[in-house]
Amino acid sequence: MKIEARNLTKTYGTFTALRDVSLEVADGSLVALLGPSGCGKTTLLRIIAGLDVADTGSILFGDRDVSDSKVKDRQVGFVFQHYALFRHMTIFENVAFGLRVRPRHLRPSESEIRAKVNELLELIQVDWLAKRYPSQLSGGQRQRVALARALAVEPQVLLLDEPFGALDAKVRADLRRWLRQLHDELRLTAVLVTHDQEEALEVADRILVMNEGHVEQVGTPEDVYDNPATPFVYNFLGRVNLFHSRVHDGRAFIGETQLDGSEHRDGKVVGYARPHDIDLDHIEVDDHTTMSAIVARIQNIGPVVRFDLKRTDTGETLEAEMSKERHQQLGFQVGERVAVKPHNLRLFPGD
Amino acid sequence: MTQESLALGSAVAVPEAAPRARAHAITEPRLVRYVLIAVAMGYLALFLVLPLVAVFSQALQRGLGVYFAAITDPIALAAIQLTLLTAAISVPLNVVFGVAAAWAITKFNFVGKSVLSTLIDLPFSVSPVISGLIFVVLFGAQGWLGPFLGEQGIRIIFAVPGIVLATTFVTFPFVARELIPLMQSQGHEEEEAAVVLGANGWQTFFRVTLPSIKWGLMYGIILCNARAMGEFGAVSVVSGRIRGETNTMPLQVEILYNEYQFAAAFAVASLLTLLALVTLVVKSVIEWQTQRAS
Repeated sequence: MKIEARNLTKTYGTFTALRDVSLEVADGSLVALLGPSGCGKTTLLRIIAGLDVADTGSILFGDRDVSDSKVKDRQVGFVFQHYALFRHMTIFENVAFGLRVRPRHLRPSESEIRAKVNELLELIQVDWLAKRYPSQLSGGQRQRVALARALAVEPQVLLLDEPFGALDAKVRADLRRWLRQLHDELRLTAVLVTHDQEEALEVADRILVMNEGHVEQVGTPEDVYDNPATPFVYNFLGRVNLFHSRVHDGRAFIGETQLDGSEHRDGKVVGYARPHDIDLDHIEVDDHTTMSAIVARIQNIGPVVRFDLKRTDTGETLEAEMSKERHQQLGFQVGERVAVKPHNLRLFPGD
Repeated sequence: MTQESLALGSAVAVPEAAPRARAHAITEPRLVRYVLIAVAMGYLALFLVLPLVAVFSQALQRGLGVYFAAITDPIALAAIQLTLLTAAISVPLNVVFGVAAAWAITKFNFVGKSVLSTLIDLPFSVSPVISGLIFVVLFGAQGWLGPFLGEQGIRIIFAVPGIVLATTFVTFPFVARELIPLMQSQGHEEEEAAVVLGANGWQTFFRVTLPSIKWGLMYGIILCNARAMGEFGAVSVVSGRIRGETNTMPLQVEILYNEYQFAAAFAVASLLTLLALVTLVVKSVIEWQTQRAS
């Protein structure tokens, strides 16, 4: 089921949560709404679900305009950040709830309900917990039950509101992988809200980066990471180094690297580079045209080594990253003056 | 015991350190704890236990025969019946109102929400005598609606309907005040989940909300019931004290006492006291259950 949102606007008093936001989710794909707190992503998700109503704009499921449909008529599955499991019901009853509240003529028989629920519990691997209560489960188990409950009513669309936000890192990583596998199996159209860029990059088919109520960029994870459309997107998707420069005659120089600045007008620009695109080297011949920096700090973080550097010309700080092997090869030391060569820079106009 | 530990035991005889007076950073020293407990117990003994003992000893002073005669007296029985009837009407009414008000206040935002919230507390801040007087002004012979209703043959004041109305008014807030903070702290995510799964309003309420609030609701009902049965001030204003017709138990106790029938007065009072004790026990059970459930 394809989802389309057109020109949604939502204000709460004086605060504008969504500004003319549109999005398209292809049938069977998983789209992530990525952004910082307060950017409007949860509001957007809730409007798609029908839990909130937009001031203007419309929502379409397939060809059907559901903007005025009530929540229960939209047939969506919703997974809440804090699970929202029914605390006084067993896991079995939680998952069976959606089937039990169906109007009589649509309600399956008791044995059918039992079969369906057991099937789902097996699918998410919590069948052995069926008789327990939510308070007796771990966070990861609860979230899987919440997912099973949402899937029990065979929704056309699955909406997840920061589903792994309340879990610790290892559980989060495992569930992320598991969700992607489940999605590949079920091929259900899904929209996932998250503030974790790693999660979005790992799980989604397409990412919608949002900021302050509007969409900054839409694209595949590669698009959004490698070709960010705005400084905000660049910043949000990973760590960033800034190099101030000017464009002159369609060219800009950063250190001894010449960049093609033809798409920018003459004037100030800023070059953005990722830490792993900053190459460091010992200074062989000091010719004063190479950009150099003093190594302020070296951190071993798992498989990578991170360098905090201070530029000798401008005094600005830089962050570089390299593999452990390379660092062992070159053997940099704190206090050493090293040559800095940034590449894969992206230019954005302005300060 | 192994050889090693025997050897250790005899070689090193360390006296066990005396248990510390302060087990935890914020625990008071023992003396303070004992004093506080003694004060609380003393207070309880003076204002609670002593009167309770006094009521029962006075009631049974003239022997069990007089006691039973007093509480099976037709007029006493009528008073008991009226008290039970009043509670049976006003408590369910206030449960319905309380649940509806709590639902509206915690789930929705509407114009006048804070006004409703404040109005719910009104019967608490108004003297019970005034509460009764309100109804006299409304329905009395010189009141706003009194003459009109009188023409229709409906008597409110100095009749049972007035007593029920006054009692219902005075016990208004109990259920609502118990439920509102409870429902606010529980949030409405579970209800949202229920609605997304396809439940309608009633299903959401009965399957999701009600089970979550049931102990708070029980507690509110207990309090409401206790007050409904024991209300004196408001009821005495609207009642007219027609023996056998418009006397509730509290009123009957006062009448008997004023007629120097002390044993009888205390006998009826002891029934009310028993009710208070039963209420306390049920309340404790509910609290224990709530702790177990959480």
